[in-house]
Amino acid sequence: MKHSEKAEIFNKDEAKVNWHDKALWYVREKRDNSAHKVQGWEYLRELGSGIKANVLSNLDEYLIQFESNAKKNGIHVHWASNAEEHNEIVNSILVKHDAKKVVKSKSMLTEECHLNPYLEKKGIEVIDTDLGERIVQLAKEPPSHIVLPAIHKTKEEVDVLFQEHLGTKPSQGNPEYLVSEARKHLRNKFLKADVAITGVNFAVADTGGVVVCTNEGNADMGVHLAKAHIACMGIEKIIPQEKHLGVFLRLLARSATGQPITTYSSHFNKAEEGKEMHIIIVDNGRTEQLSREDFRASLHCIRCGACMNTCPIYRRSGGHSYDYTIPGPIGSILSPGKDLKKHSSLPFASTLCGSCSNVCPVKINIHEQLYKWRQVIVKEEKQPVIKKAVLKTAGVVLSKPGLYDFAGKSARFALKNFPKFMIYNKLNAWGKARDLPEVKNDNFDEWFKKRNKDG
Amino acid sequence: MNGLKKEIKMGREAILESIKKNKPELLTVPEIKKEIFAEDINVKEVFKDNIVLVGGRIKEINIETIDAEIKESYAKAKRIVSTSSKTTLGTVSVSKDTDPHTLEDIDLAIVEGELGVSENGAIWVTADTSIVRALPFITNDLVIILDKEKICLHMLEAYDIISNRDRNFGVFISGPSKTADIEQCLVVGAHGAMSLTVFLV
Repeated sequence: MKHSEKAEIFNKDEAKVNWHDKALWYVREKRDNSAHKVQGWEYLRELGSGIKANVLSNLDEYLIQFESNAKKNGIHVHWASNAEEHNEIVNSILVKHDAKKVVKSKSMLTEECHLNPYLEKKGIEVIDTDLGERIVQLAKEPPSHIVLPAIHKTKEEVDVLFQEHLGTKPSQGNPEYLVSEARKHLRNKFLKADVAITGVNFAVADTGGVVVCTNEGNADMGVHLAKAHIACMGIEKIIPQEKHLGVFLRLLARSATGQPITTYSSHFNKAEEGKEMHIIIVDNGRTEQLSREDFRASLHCIRCGACMNTCPIYRRSGGHSYDYTIPGPIGSILSPGKDLKKHSSLPFASTLCGSCSNVCPVKINIHEQLYKWRQVIVKEEKQPVIKKAVLKTAGVVLSKPGLYDFAGKSARFALKNFPKFMIYNKLNAWGKARDLPEVKNDNFDEWFKKRNKDG
Repeated sequence: MNGLKKEIKMGREAILESIKKNKPELLTVPEIKKEIFAEDINVKEVFKDNIVLVGGRIKEINIETIDAEIKESYAKAKRIVSTSSKTTLGTVSVSKDTDPHTLEDIDLAIVEGELGVSENGAIWVTADTSIVRALPFITNDLVIILDKEKICLHMLEAYDIISNRDRNFGVFISGPSKTADIEQCLVVGAHGAMSLTVFLV
């Protein structure tokens, strides 16, 4: 299904769309306030972008250096070319520890690899422990946002979900009550877990350690109580030196939620005595994206979600309408590289206003890449007959001033005098869900000529 | 299992080969000009403000009164783990061999922070000072004692200091555990400590 068709489903509940739009814009405003307080913010973004560009240009060497340093610290390092290999490696570690219960901290990579259904089929209990992730897991839905996974759900919906699955009392969506019940429920899971799986925010080449950022402390509760820790990372998560964390940790939370830093920024360098730590380094299409000169900068992404919060299309269409693990503007440039046919409508789900590029902490030229994907897609994917005909006609009309003038006059005449059914129909996408402007004045050309004559 | 191991190795070589083939021309790492972030501020006062901003409490106290101060803040706490020699309030002792599961019903943990960061109210706590890694997370409430001389301006300065450490586990803690996952309402006390009080000494 195309993005616009999926968005239409989300748009059926107008009040919810308005709420979704406002909630995300509020987060965007918090990001602005937070960024403006930092001396040298723009320079910080430049540094972030420059470091990431260096990373991509030396990625293999950094990964080798990272692996060697991690191994020195007793960490087991694995490599996976694709999702299947990643899932098999996770499973082999679980088998080794005879693990039946797994707690997982938020990781978009394991989401991308569809790890949960894979493990569940093998009879393993996998509990997502970030509250938003747990909510969507109970609802059997994918996350709709990478930082705010359950942003599409109202508190009343969460209330009903918790009553059904956790046996809570009806509370009309009291957030304090619901969080305290979730705390009890998940504490029990943490205490009984055999193995903890986390994502990785940053992997540091010169130390061989990884950094995981959470507000809830769920990664730490999982890791420090379980026998083994499996950290799953995409190859692009690497940064050269530990001091560069000073750049990225200043950018990440401010861009994501407007906080000066997440509550916990945990640095895992060695397993606790008697325990094991594993790191799985995953490609799954990333080296292919690296090969695409126009799109490789998308690998700079540090997954803050700022581009989603600011995007006028994302805010009004919801994350699920993108039908991809990473939704929003950044997802729309990552997804066609994975499956051009399936995701060919996503680069068009943008106004190209550039707001995404403006807030991106590592200065990815998101809207330019969206425009570039459109050019690729129009060439390679079959376009609807109507769209092709309309664009071809527009091309002819725009190239001939006389014809353009005539077309404008006809359109204005039609808008003034034609019955509604002739204006608002399937051929006119511009009349969908919006009224066309009332025609009162002359066109610009006529107005300009008259003005010059009068003046 | 044997088959899997072989595949894993193939994964490594395949990935590195593909990167080598596809990576752009080498670009240098930008040099960080720290002077651009310089600010003439009172780092201690800004640090205090930021602790409150992130949901914590902060008190600047005289070291002699620390027991009384903690008692006043957490009067109901009975099961207390302290890994700091600056207070005598601990009632449950821990060692490196303590099973973290036994700390499930700890009321209060008292640990020492190694350094504070003015720009975000974060405090660096390590496995060396918390002894049991789970302690600052599993406890109901958390107290961090920090030397007021050990506050730096921003994260870049902080990494200059911690870069010489012995690396096992360390965490920047900024405020109590919190979540906004239910309709963007900020609720303090998700999985980790429900409250954080910082005592500057």
